[in-house]
Amino acid sequence: MTEFVLALVLGLLFALGTFLVLRRDVVRVVWGVSIISQAANVYLVTMGLLDGTVPVLEGHGEGAGAVTDPLVQALVLTAIVIGFGTTAFALVLTYRVYEEHGTIDLLELGGETDGN
Amino acid sequence: MATEQVVVAPLLVALVTAILTLVVHRYVRVQKVVSALGGLAYVGAVAMLIQRVRSGAGSHGVEGVLTYQLSEWGAPFGITLVADDLSAFMLGLTAVVSLLALAFSIQYVDEAGQRVSYHPLYHFMLVGVTGSFLTADIFNLFVWFEVMLMSSYVLVVFYSGPQHTKAALQYVVLNLVGSAFMLLAIGGLYSTTGTLNMADLARRLADPASFGISLVPVLGLSAVLFVVFALKAGIVPFQWWVPAAYRAAPAPVSAMLAGVVKKVGIYAIIRLYFTVFANAAPMDLSLPGVVGESTLAFFGPVLFIMGAASIILGGVAAVNRDNVDDLLAYSSIGQVGFIVIALAFAAGGVVAGWEAPDPYGSVAVLGLAAALVYSLNHALAKAALFLASGAVYESVGSIEFDDLGGIAGRMPLLSTGFFVAALSLVGIPPLLGFFGKFLVFDAAVNAGSNLGIGLALLGAILTIAYVTRAWNRGFWGERSEAVEQATPQYGLFATVLVLAVVALGVGVAFDPVVDAAIDAANAALGTGDYIEAVGLEESLTSGGGGH
Repeated sequence: MTEFVLALVLGLLFALGTFLVLRRDVVRVVWGVSIISQAANVYLVTMGLLDGTVPVLEGHGEGAGAVTDPLVQALVLTAIVIGFGTTAFALVLTYRVYEEHGTIDLLELGGETDGN
Repeated sequence: MATEQVVVAPLLVALVTAILTLVVHRYVRVQKVVSALGGLAYVGAVAMLIQRVRSGAGSHGVEGVLTYQLSEWGAPFGITLVADDLSAFMLGLTAVVSLLALAFSIQYVDEAGQRVSYHPLYHFMLVGVTGSFLTADIFNLFVWFEVMLMSSYVLVVFYSGPQHTKAALQYVVLNLVGSAFMLLAIGGLYSTTGTLNMADLARRLADPASFGISLVPVLGLSAVLFVVFALKAGIVPFQWWVPAAYRAAPAPVSAMLAGVVKKVGIYAIIRLYFTVFANAAPMDLSLPGVVGESTLAFFGPVLFIMGAASIILGGVAAVNRDNVDDLLAYSSIGQVGFIVIALAFAAGGVVAGWEAPDPYGSVAVLGLAAALVYSLNHALAKAALFLASGAVYESVGSIEFDDLGGIAGRMPLLSTGFFVAALSLVGIPPLLGFFGKFLVFDAAVNAGSNLGIGLALLGAILTIAYVTRAWNRGFWGERSEAVEQATPQYGLFATVLVLAVVALGVGVAFDPVVDAAIDAANAALGTGDYIEAVGLEESLTSGGGGH
């Protein structure tokens, strides 16, 4: 059941991200990219199986049983930090685009001639 | 000794230089000196590493493959860095281009720009490139890609004018989506194979039954990963970010992006698809147009189609551009097509086991060697041309063909550099480009691909067409007013000339280069040695007892 819910949520997140990336507004595009990368992070966590227990408990007391893979969680931490940096940069860039062009509408941006 | 410190030397040098240039950013002169010394030290570190690899030193008794285990954690538990002939070849190419582009930058980029961020970013980009060439861990590869990209984002938007911000926005969003895809592919590969270490991955794929791996999802995930690498390499249909980004970036950065950063995508394709995924046990593909049971049987035709499309699109589009940078950007799409099509022949050679005359032995080795020599040629020649374009801009104040004309008479030194680099791109003997093209044709002939020969021929003709046009409109003909009033920048011209002379020198003394390329090709195909050198352990305790 958990797996089904997770798969559904992931699918929705990716759909939402894709929808936003295809918008005309640059800020929405940046939101979309950041949602896609967060969805990728959630997906990565689910790759480590969800039904185990905390890894440090192994060998301490009875009934520790199956262990959730801690590696993917370490990977996700790295990916979150990178995602944070890139999202911040993308937002600053958006502001800079607004300063330079006076608009963040992608159609208007694309319509400008290459001469300037 | 399992760990070779020399493997991390280039990485450390670039990283330390990046940090030092940040520390001394208040003192512009000191910063320039530190940056230049760092560039030289990088070349020294790479030379040391290449010398060590080529002299046959190795880890776990495998000659020519050096490994470094981070914090002495045994593979596959820790992160492994591997330097073999393939990595050494790519690092050598990086070292030459990066030093000259740096020498160019110090004179070219304006003082304020250099003071703020240029040097740290440049060296951080170098860190990312170096790490990508050395790592043997697919998640670590993702991290190095991000290090490289993060710096390149800022370098592309460096001038932050209207066109630059627009180009950078496209470049950033595209690569962020690419990074998310890479993460998905890596996560999927980890969950299906249970490892991130490339050597371990190759070993497990060879024996999927005993590790409980289903190979078909691995193929699908590797295809997702392939998209990311194709995006980095700028192959059709992922090429459209290239012209805007190259045009926006400062000339020395365009030289690095086209010469070196693109090759990271090519390297990743060679390393992962030829060393790792090609090792997978035979599987039933039953896909239309795919003959064979290896992963390369699937990627061979894909590489061929993408390479062919790149050659045609890049070549045709380059012919009628209005300015030098756009022409060079489209040209590099076409030139990377040549590299990719050579990889397609190599993939066909691996699948069918075709033989080739000595000294290659097989079409697989010949195709890979062709791709590598072509990469080196493209790195040197295209970097020289982008630097030449920057030098023209700095001297004349424009790179639009309409404003140019008659540079050859006005600035003969620069024109000589441009001419030699352009001839190398076309492939005139004794320049390196001739051998690059020759090897690609040789691979096509030995692969028995008439279509491939035709495409390569078409690409060569298109190259001649656009190079001739650039020369005619920019360097020959009547001197335009802007050229007449130009102030020649001899320091910049010298850098261009040095790169062109390197392309000439490497062509004249081609034997060691082709030997290195053949060894690199053999290293790429020598999965067994790669696995053995990494020295996989079965459990975390070094005694092998386990618990």
